[in-house]
Amino acid sequence: MAPPPCFEAPSAPRGLLGAPAGCPARCLHPAGGAHAGFPRRQRRGRPFGFEAPSAPGARPGAAMAAGLWALLLLPLAAAVYEDQVGKFDWRQQYVGKLKFASLEASQGSKKLIVATEKNVVAALNSRSGEILWRHVDKGTPEGAIDAMMIHGQDAITVSNAGRILRSWETNIGGLNWEMSLDTGSFQVASLVGLQDVVKYVAVLKKAAISLHYLSNGHQKWVEHLPESESTQYQLLYSHGTGVIHVLGIVPQSHLNILTFSVEDGEITKQVIRVAAPWLKSLNGVCSVVGEAVLVCMDMGTHSLYVCSLETEQEMKQIPLQSLDLEFADGFQPRILATQPNVISPSRTQFFLQLSPSHFSLLQYKHGLLSHLRDFQQAALVSFATTGEKTVAAVLTCRSELESLTCSNQTYNINLYLVETGQRLLDTTITFTLEQSGAKPQQLYIQVFLKKDDSVGYRALVQTEDHMLIFLQQPGKVVWSREESLAEVVSLEMVDLPLTGAQAELEGEFGKKADGLLGMFLKRLSSQLILLQAWTAHLWKMFYDARKPRSQIKNEINIDNLARDEFNLQKMMVMVTASGKLFGIESSSGTILWKQYLRNVKPGSSFKLMVQRTTAHFPHPPQCTLLVKDRETKMSFLYVFNPIFGKRSQVAPPVLKRPILQTLLLPIMDQDYAKVLLLIDDEYKVTAFPATKNVLRQLEEIAHSIFFYLVDAEQGKLSGFRLKKDLTTEESWEVIIPTEVQRIVTVKGKRSSEHVHSQGRVMGDRSVLYKSLNPNLLAVVTESTDTHHERTFIGIYLIDGVTGRIIHSSVQKKAKGPVHMVHSENWVVYQYWNTKARRNEFTVLELYEGTEQYNATAFSSLDRPILPQVLQQSYIFPSAISAMEATITERGITSRHLLIGLPSGAILSLPKALLDPRRPEIPTEQSREENLIPYSPDVQIHAERFINYNQTISRMRGIYTAPSGLESTCLVVAYGLDIYQTRVYPSKQFDVLKDDYDYVLISSVLFGLVFATMITKRLAQVKLLNRAWR
Amino acid sequence: MAAAVRGRRFKWSLELAAAPGGRPRGAAEGRGPLGFAERQLGEGGVHESDKILMEKRCWDVALAPLKQIPMNLFIMYMAGNTISIFPAMMVCMMGWRPLQALMSLSATLKALESSSRRALQGLVFLVGNGLGLALALYKCQAMGLLPTRPSDWLAFVAPPQRMEFTGGGLIL
Repeated sequence: MAPPPCFEAPSAPRGLLGAPAGCPARCLHPAGGAHAGFPRRQRRGRPFGFEAPSAPGARPGAAMAAGLWALLLLPLAAAVYEDQVGKFDWRQQYVGKLKFASLEASQGSKKLIVATEKNVVAALNSRSGEILWRHVDKGTPEGAIDAMMIHGQDAITVSNAGRILRSWETNIGGLNWEMSLDTGSFQVASLVGLQDVVKYVAVLKKAAISLHYLSNGHQKWVEHLPESESTQYQLLYSHGTGVIHVLGIVPQSHLNILTFSVEDGEITKQVIRVAAPWLKSLNGVCSVVGEAVLVCMDMGTHSLYVCSLETEQEMKQIPLQSLDLEFADGFQPRILATQPNVISPSRTQFFLQLSPSHFSLLQYKHGLLSHLRDFQQAALVSFATTGEKTVAAVLTCRSELESLTCSNQTYNINLYLVETGQRLLDTTITFTLEQSGAKPQQLYIQVFLKKDDSVGYRALVQTEDHMLIFLQQPGKVVWSREESLAEVVSLEMVDLPLTGAQAELEGEFGKKADGLLGMFLKRLSSQLILLQAWTAHLWKMFYDARKPRSQIKNEINIDNLARDEFNLQKMMVMVTASGKLFGIESSSGTILWKQYLRNVKPGSSFKLMVQRTTAHFPHPPQCTLLVKDRETKMSFLYVFNPIFGKRSQVAPPVLKRPILQTLLLPIMDQDYAKVLLLIDDEYKVTAFPATKNVLRQLEEIAHSIFFYLVDAEQGKLSGFRLKKDLTTEESWEVIIPTEVQRIVTVKGKRSSEHVHSQGRVMGDRSVLYKSLNPNLLAVVTESTDTHHERTFIGIYLIDGVTGRIIHSSVQKKAKGPVHMVHSENWVVYQYWNTKARRNEFTVLELYEGTEQYNATAFSSLDRPILPQVLQQSYIFPSAISAMEATITERGITSRHLLIGLPSGAILSLPKALLDPRRPEIPTEQSREENLIPYSPDVQIHAERFINYNQTISRMRGIYTAPSGLESTCLVVAYGLDIYQTRVYPSKQFDVLKDDYDYVLISSVLFGLVFATMITKRLAQVKLLNRAWR
Repeated sequence: MAAAVRGRRFKWSLELAAAPGGRPRGAAEGRGPLGFAERQLGEGGVHESDKILMEKRCWDVALAPLKQIPMNLFIMYMAGNTISIFPAMMVCMMGWRPLQALMSLSATLKALESSSRRALQGLVFLVGNGLGLALALYKCQAMGLLPTRPSDWLAFVAPPQRMEFTGGGLIL
């Protein structure tokens, strides 16, 4: 028996590009040219996802089963060809908000080393802002970076609350060494030098100080600190003299000064009980200047206290009135000193911050305090050193009057020589921030000496909205990075508007009729516009054709935004945790607009809703963002145009009470904006927009509008019914006792989801109708008891209208975090099985049976029959970090689950593999239904990774959106990185392939037509000749 | 075997009629071709048998569809119920042939005009073709080609209209 042709395709996977690693050798077949991992694309070879063993002598039945498997698995391959890399997908990598940054003090340096609040250590290219290398630690506090120090080519970081000390090679990002330290709350770390050489790093913890070699990280010595229960050791200072000073404080009592010998860790000097009853903490208030002189600031007496760590045992008070300096009320003053090199003493000059915008440059030298310069209106100050020169950089608002608000957003940076406080000439950088009002927050300066010995510098400014700007003299922005995109919290995709001409046509049909003549004129005018657009297009084509191809760049900007034929290009509206909104064009990843909301506090919750799409020309599209402050609980609405990012003219209602939840209704006002209902903590409802028309409509359908609120803290689910006067009454309540279990996730269905098929065809050709309850909620709970024998997760399917529990089950010996997808008539969730120690998937499917109760209308209030629930579980070999289902316009295409793995890959898993009707023993009927026989393990095939080697760090969510093509679903995965691509769960059945041979087909067609014409002619001639015979 | 080169016109020719001894051409012309009978056949006896033959011929025409049925049954049995190209073609032929016959019913009836029992024969012909058609339909049904089940109309079932609207979630 000859095997079917598809079995003879062992070379097919060669054309696939599946995996970053672990791809079987045949995937990266060396034959066929010089290519490392990217095999050459075969022109007409189609990818086969697998290779079935061909069994020449096998039984026909087995062969048929194998054939069935082949058919089933064939459309599963979702890999890309080499030449498709980057064609439909892009990735943007971020590092997060800076915590520490280091800029090399030389003009030719190309990199800056950063450590961020996202627990990332990275090197950025200072010419372009690109990431040279990046190391992503754990996202939990365990990975938090506590300190970073730079020494030559090495970067030393302390992370995990002082548990881990690492040294990085900054050129290539390699790890030099790693040391795990003893436990103990981390205080401060510092490099320590001995006789002109920096050899050690000292780490100060609550109860101990340890010294490590810089070369290999080994511990030189560790010393216990005396009286560590009462004393808080907070400062560490050394300047190459062979001793380390450690300062401890007993709040509002006294200071302890310990001096350790670098050589053996012996306490050479111990000065205890330096009276300082006014001092609460050393951090910020105190600093060490000059040759180990401690300078502290006291608010109460308005004076500075100084004390030499090496010689004195008393604190000397210097009243500030003598310098004519005044404090702002209620402001905790800060002292900012600098030590350019750890083997030499600190500078004697230091900044004293007296109010949020008032800095003073002071000098304490030879026991004398002098005032060098006053900066009344400075926003930020910073020191920088190159060679022997130390300068102070001061960032001020350009208009002197309003240094704090700075409404025109134009700032100056100036350099001052620290020794004298003189301004350096020609060192001004002037730059303008966006008008959204984010203030600069951090300033890092890179100074260098030019050839003529003058000082040149570059500045790195971080603003409140986590934007990084790298500036060059005299104010050129070298690059900027939007680091707030490292924490996207909400995302929506909005269709782009039609082009002007299309919109005109749409508008013609969308409007009400205004007389025959009017319509006719309108038609004529729109045709004229179309003609105009067409000629412009032709002209552009002609114009572009003369230019070399490399120069033609279809740059996307906000002016030429237009929907493409298949609506594959959309506007991604992203809300970030910092309160900055972005509009990103989905096909290229270009940021088209950004808007910073100043009044958003960190940790607010957001809910983004699309009230009006672009389909209602000439009304602009409208998005509404609900922002709720976590502390004050107050909320506000921000209404904007998602295409241009402009704030909308529509005035949102002022929300006096905290908003608990929202509901976007499908009814529209006369301007085609969907009605948004907001329910507040008194269970009253506010409608937006609240026109008369809307209120009338609401009154009509109020009886069919229901809210459900889930209070995870109290373990309460409650349902509310809307009344005609926009108040609500509670209609049901379900209590899940918080002592036993707590609610972790609640998921309804996506309202935009379209289900094409109302049932499934069984083997005997009857129909198993799906139970498609649009009001169904899936609630997941986790047990409070986390012991591995007693832990469990619960899943409840609850009707959101009636509160009826349709299904509940408890998975024993299971543990979260639970990831869940709820769509159509199924729920898939994933958890950790503590008994078998593995990750498992469970799928629930709901069916009505072979008869539909009511085929025309679905009402939760009239459902006498409970749906049948089918359930099956599978083993999954990996943990997951995000999960979402694909969605398409009509819901005809088969569904896939997109599973984000911790490795950063996105696995596209067919839903058909997670189907509770998979039979354990295949029968004739199940085979007829194309059901795959049940096997407990779901495998991860590298060819099913949709993002080949473009891994996404710390993925937190996947967003899917339908496109205009039924076969295509747009996918955005976000986390530390953002990745956008398209997936085709059932392959591209509605598009000609990329490599479709137009030339061959058209030449054959033309040839045939030509041949027909010739033969016709010949036949005529022949007939004529015969007639003459 | 006598073969002679004659004249310049032909390279060679074979004269089958030439007798040994070289009789002149044309002498054999009176004999006629093989099976040629000089005597004419009588007409009187043929008339009766002709009528019977005609009747028989007409019955043949009328019964042809019925005779096809056992053959069709056998083919049906052999083809099985799977849908592939050959069974599909067979079913198509089985359905198409009776249809064609029924469409050319008037022509068939004309051919049966000479028969005395033409009404009966016409009926038998009709019934035979009808049976053939029914058989084809039965086969279609067995193969699942007829849209008789609800599953065949599933794609046209509209989603039920939603009567209530819900919204909410975890308290923000």
